Amino acid sequence: MSVLGVPGTMPKCELTRVYVWELPVRLAHWGVALSLFVLAATGLYIAHPIAILPASFRDTYSMGWVRTIHLYAATVFGISVVARIAWMFMGNRYSHWDKFIPMRRKRWAGLGPTLRFYLFALRKPPGFVGHNPLAGLAYTAIFVLYILQMLSGFALYSAMANIHSPFHHLGFLASLFGGLQTAKWSHHVVMWLLLGFVGHHVYSSVLMSTVEANGTVESMFSGYKFVPPEDLVYSGYLFKERREMHALSQQAGNSGSR
Amino acid sequence: MAHESSFLQELKQRGVSRRQFMHFCSVMAAAMALPGTAAAQIAQALQKKQKPVLFWLEFQDCCGNTESFLRASSPSVASIVLDVLSVDYHETIMAAAGKQAEEALAKSAADHKGQYIVIVEGSIPTGENGAYCTVGGKAAIDIAREICGGAVATIAMGTCAAYGGLPAAAPNPTGALGVADAVPGVKNLINLSACPANAENLTALIVYYLTFNQIPPLDAYGRPMFAYGVTIHDNCERRAHFDDSQYVEKWGDEAHRAGYCLYRMGCKGPVTHQNCPVVRWNEGTNWPIGCGHPCIGCAEPDFWDKMTPFYRHLEGVPGFNVQSNLDLVGLTAAAGVTGAFLAHGAVSFVRHKKESRERKETGALEDVRETDQKPPAASKKVNGGE
Repeated sequence: MSVLGVPGTMPKCELTRVYVWELPVRLAHWGVALSLFVLAATGLYIAHPIAILPASFRDTYSMGWVRTIHLYAATVFGISVVARIAWMFMGNRYSHWDKFIPMRRKRWAGLGPTLRFYLFALRKPPGFVGHNPLAGLAYTAIFVLYILQMLSGFALYSAMANIHSPFHHLGFLASLFGGLQTAKWSHHVVMWLLLGFVGHHVYSSVLMSTVEANGTVESMFSGYKFVPPEDLVYSGYLFKERREMHALSQQAGNSGSR
Repeated sequence: MAHESSFLQELKQRGVSRRQFMHFCSVMAAAMALPGTAAAQIAQALQKKQKPVLFWLEFQDCCGNTESFLRASSPSVASIVLDVLSVDYHETIMAAAGKQAEEALAKSAADHKGQYIVIVEGSIPTGENGAYCTVGGKAAIDIAREICGGAVATIAMGTCAAYGGLPAAAPNPTGALGVADAVPGVKNLINLSACPANAENLTALIVYYLTFNQIPPLDAYGRPMFAYGVTIHDNCERRAHFDDSQYVEKWGDEAHRAGYCLYRMGCKGPVTHQNCPVVRWNEGTNWPIGCGHPCIGCAEPDFWDKMTPFYRHLEGVPGFNVQSNLDLVGLTAAAGVTGAFLAHGAVSFVRHKKESRERKETGALEDVRETDQKPPAASKKVNGGE
């Protein structure tokens, strides 16, 4: 695993390959990412359809198809989100729910420095291996929006679902929003909020990937990140072997005095 | 016929044949989503029933529901169903007035306590101790409490009585409420919303009650499922145009004249539950979408606040007073976020350039990590130590 290697030969390559994002996390991530784009595109068409009026374009069932695609993409989205939430209680430490809601002191304390990094007050972000605490907190808000979006989506779907469909009985969800029209409005507003988040998310992952140079973007494909051992220490994840490795690096006078 | 019931005789006097009566019963069975065989049951029930007493109370209303029910173009069989009931109090149509009328109501309510049906029309104001609407010196809310409290069933006729309607629209100066909110705990309350409520649905509801002696299944907003179970959109005669993206874009354009979908003109059909496309209005003559006007969602609670602007199908963002601003606000916000991060990237890039230039000058390691300090001078030692 470690490329700590022979001292003296590769002094700067003190990186550890860590399996951060397990397959379900990656699948859920790309499931959400792809479906979100499809949902936003089809959703915008549903909200602002283009009138196709020439007689030669009759029976296109265009709106019908757009809505069909929207519903299937919504299925992918819903399953991905629910699977990811379930994985928060099943997966490894990096996917655990407490990486989203800062409960531990360490993560709470990491919020400030991360924010200061984004505000240019720090030059390098504090070394967290998985989500940094600020990102985790932002993703908590995003998950709340996901759930809100799914609830308003189901509320709208219940009105058109077949009377024999189980989703037909989800009509009560509309009253949570104060009626179908308000649910529709919420569905539209949250779409814009999520699109705004996409802009932020792509940028900060590229930024983190650049400044930390640990393969952040690539890790969402492979699952692996390349992190300096002291980040594992900083994050409070001292596996036995890593602890030993860290001791070794310190013995070698290899910095990491945090 | 010797044994002809008084009811059928009454019908005959009004010029309604038995055939017409049976036809009415079948129509009612269909309206209540029952099989055709139920028609016989309905016919039997209507003939046998003793006349239940009915009070029709009007509060903050425009009398529109009364008009809708009574102003049939020709005396229909449906109007006779109202005669099946003994309407003991209805301000608009009764002969008595003033003190006499109020006394008659009080007496009849006392005599038939727990047996009579009440129809409420109009919202009930609760502001200023109910002073905004009084009848015979009595506040609407007190009348409602008293009369609805002793009823076997209460029908909130029209959106005002059901959910507050126009008087309850923001800022709701009179503190108007629907019956369910103003008088909680009313027994067997049925909301017959819409502005006005469809007379056919009231007839069907009364017939249902007379036939089965119970109230029909209700939805989450207390409305009978047989009339409010499906959205306007799903039964709309223009639905195929919606699915084919054939939309009216301007009043009077070619698509409008061709009878295409009114979705883009603000139709609230997709979010409104009512059976308008099926029963229609004015004895099946037509209905709003049928004559080229989008649905305004009048059957849904708070439609004055939530369904406006009527000619746009999505409202704007509260606090921004431009009507169709939702997408503008959303697009601006999304672009703003992206722009802010791009600016962040530009600053990062410039700083990074500057730092790597400094590093070249000082010979510091690029890999040195810090959280809150400048690169420590000790970092040089890393190389030296190995």
